[in-house]
Amino acid sequence: MGNCFSDVKGGQQAIGGSVRAGGGGHGGSAASGPNDAVDYFFRAKGEHALFMPIELSLSASKLRDRDITSKSDPMAVIFTKRRNGKLEEIGRTEVIMNSLDPSWIQKINVTYQFEIVQHLVFQVYDVDTKYHNLPVKMLNLEDQDFLGEASCVVSEIVTKRERSLTLNLHSRGRPGFKHLGTLTVRAEEPVASRNTVEITFRCSALENKDLLSKSDPFLRISRTVETGGSVPICKTEVVNNNLNPIWKPVQLTMQQFVSKENPLVIECFDFNDSGNHQLIGKLQKSVAELETLYQSKSGAKFISPSSGFRRHEKVLKSQIIVEVYVEKQLYSFLDYISSGFELNFMVAVDFTDRCFPAWGFGGRTPDCSVSHCFNLNGSPSEFEVEGVDGMMAAYTSALHNVALAGPTLFGQVINKAADIARGSVSCNYAKYYILLIITDGVVTDLQETMDSVVRASDLPLSILIVGVGNANFKEMEILDADNGRRLESSTGRIATRDIVQFVPMREVHGGEISVVRALLEELPSQFLSYVRSKDIKPLNMS
Amino acid sequence: MSKSSSVIEITVISAENLTINRRHRVKGNTFIVVKSDPLNSQSTGTDPEGGSYPAWNEKLIMELPVHVRFITVEAHSGSKVIGTASIPVSDFAGGHLPENYLSFLSYRLRDGNGDKNGIVNLSVKVKGTGNSGCAASCSRPWMGVPADNKVSGGMVMGIPVPYM
Repeated sequence: MGNCFSDVKGGQQAIGGSVRAGGGGHGGSAASGPNDAVDYFFRAKGEHALFMPIELSLSASKLRDRDITSKSDPMAVIFTKRRNGKLEEIGRTEVIMNSLDPSWIQKINVTYQFEIVQHLVFQVYDVDTKYHNLPVKMLNLEDQDFLGEASCVVSEIVTKRERSLTLNLHSRGRPGFKHLGTLTVRAEEPVASRNTVEITFRCSALENKDLLSKSDPFLRISRTVETGGSVPICKTEVVNNNLNPIWKPVQLTMQQFVSKENPLVIECFDFNDSGNHQLIGKLQKSVAELETLYQSKSGAKFISPSSGFRRHEKVLKSQIIVEVYVEKQLYSFLDYISSGFELNFMVAVDFTDRCFPAWGFGGRTPDCSVSHCFNLNGSPSEFEVEGVDGMMAAYTSALHNVALAGPTLFGQVINKAADIARGSVSCNYAKYYILLIITDGVVTDLQETMDSVVRASDLPLSILIVGVGNANFKEMEILDADNGRRLESSTGRIATRDIVQFVPMREVHGGEISVVRALLEELPSQFLSYVRSKDIKPLNMS
Repeated sequence: MSKSSSVIEITVISAENLTINRRHRVKGNTFIVVKSDPLNSQSTGTDPEGGSYPAWNEKLIMELPVHVRFITVEAHSGSKVIGTASIPVSDFAGGHLPENYLSFLSYRLRDGNGDKNGIVNLSVKVKGTGNSGCAASCSRPWMGVPADNKVSGGMVMGIPVPYM
């Protein structure tokens, strides 16, 4: 049956369809985080859990005229630039005849990933008449006339307000002074990804599959695929000992169910600790049919499929009822940042060990007090430095004025960042703060740090910690609550959401993933969990 | 002008991992009582189905007398109190947080013996009276620090202060 539940408690949690509003992580399932079986399933297919699919449309103007008797017949090709500098084609437009200002219709799909720098190279070719009957993908680029090239980074396109970027085309390799025209790239998110539907399911008269108590039912929802099978898209949490259960609302994105007419397979299982869950019943309904069920306030009967004992299906008395059905628009991370939301970086540098330069907490200032949060630029009131150069200048001057002193304490730095974030909230300003801590030591005040993190967990703040050097950072991983255990402060308060991402540099050094990428991966989902829980919409949206 | 109390809106969202005497699963009929002082308390309805993971999503409106420093949250199952948590008022009010700001908070519940018994999730909003002057309506990104109360009765003006 394809069970992949590793532990009982983990196996009982809702996966894939948990509602992220209302505090992001509340209500029993720590699995509104990214670690779950369905997520791995998609990752194995090459789809990253929080990837943002976008479509690029291209148009050009004032292209060079290469043909003698008529205008050029342009086609555009998009490449990504790999780390080794090689170009890899990701798509091409159609050929437009006889135009120096083409607007291509064919869109090209690109996946926007926040945490990496994605270089794109655009090339425009004039397709020779003799190839005009060939399908575009069979054209050999070397045989065509090169009209111009431009390059940019995906984030440049998506962070613009109109999500549109105009580039000057130049000759291959070097930006020459010859005017070869311009290329405009526009990015759009496929509309589908914003539509979501939130459904609360209830069942009645489920059959009892357990011997001594009642069944422990949960639902698994799958999408049918063309090849005839089905792909699970979510499962609800388990309700123990109940034949008339009602589950927490399940939120499905259009990415998951593809279209409202696409039939979904809904199966109801009885949970067993052994992992061998028994099927109570199943049925097939599309999202549109579920909407109808809700509106007509009726239920649909489950079916028990044919088995060894029975050659045909049996319609059961058990029913599924749609208690709540709500369609919602979910703004994406791109909606927020392109509307003008600011992400602000703050950096804290470790001063406690001379061996790792450039990495100001734990320093003794000229007045002989040890500070665990001092301004790197030496000013008593201003803590800002301008840009990377400013950082380096401040660090250099601080080296002259500050003596080294242990231990490694984070609490005060985090409190300071939290104060700044809290202050911005009162002014209704669309800002989100990111504190970057670079340290080579294990934190000495773990409980203090946890307390500070918990206090900051309901604020527009994310904390990224990079561990450099050879220390054993096992303790630090507690701060990064990826295993689902919410942080608890010494006063009994529990973190509202997971705001820490910890990456030991040593771990990623050998691999393909850069430190920056590993650090930034969780950022969009942390940002979204904050804005959605507070019902903050992108700027200028009604 | 100082008011004797303000009004808070508490939405009791849900609770997690409740047990009875640390062993038995909670059968149902759990509800939450919120007390701002011994005289002011409100309770949610019961959740018959939720068992150890009940959800109420119920909004309670109560008075918060100005001298109160903690509000108490009690989880009841039937007639027993199975867990309590103490919420410092400073976690959702005062300081830099504006009025009408929705705070999402979660707390550890402990039973009569002091043992851990789950978590309660709620959101709190202090209802605005409109008295706080420009802090809530300024559109420039500066941090308002409340000045001393005796400067001008009732109106709080944010004055940028050197931060360290």
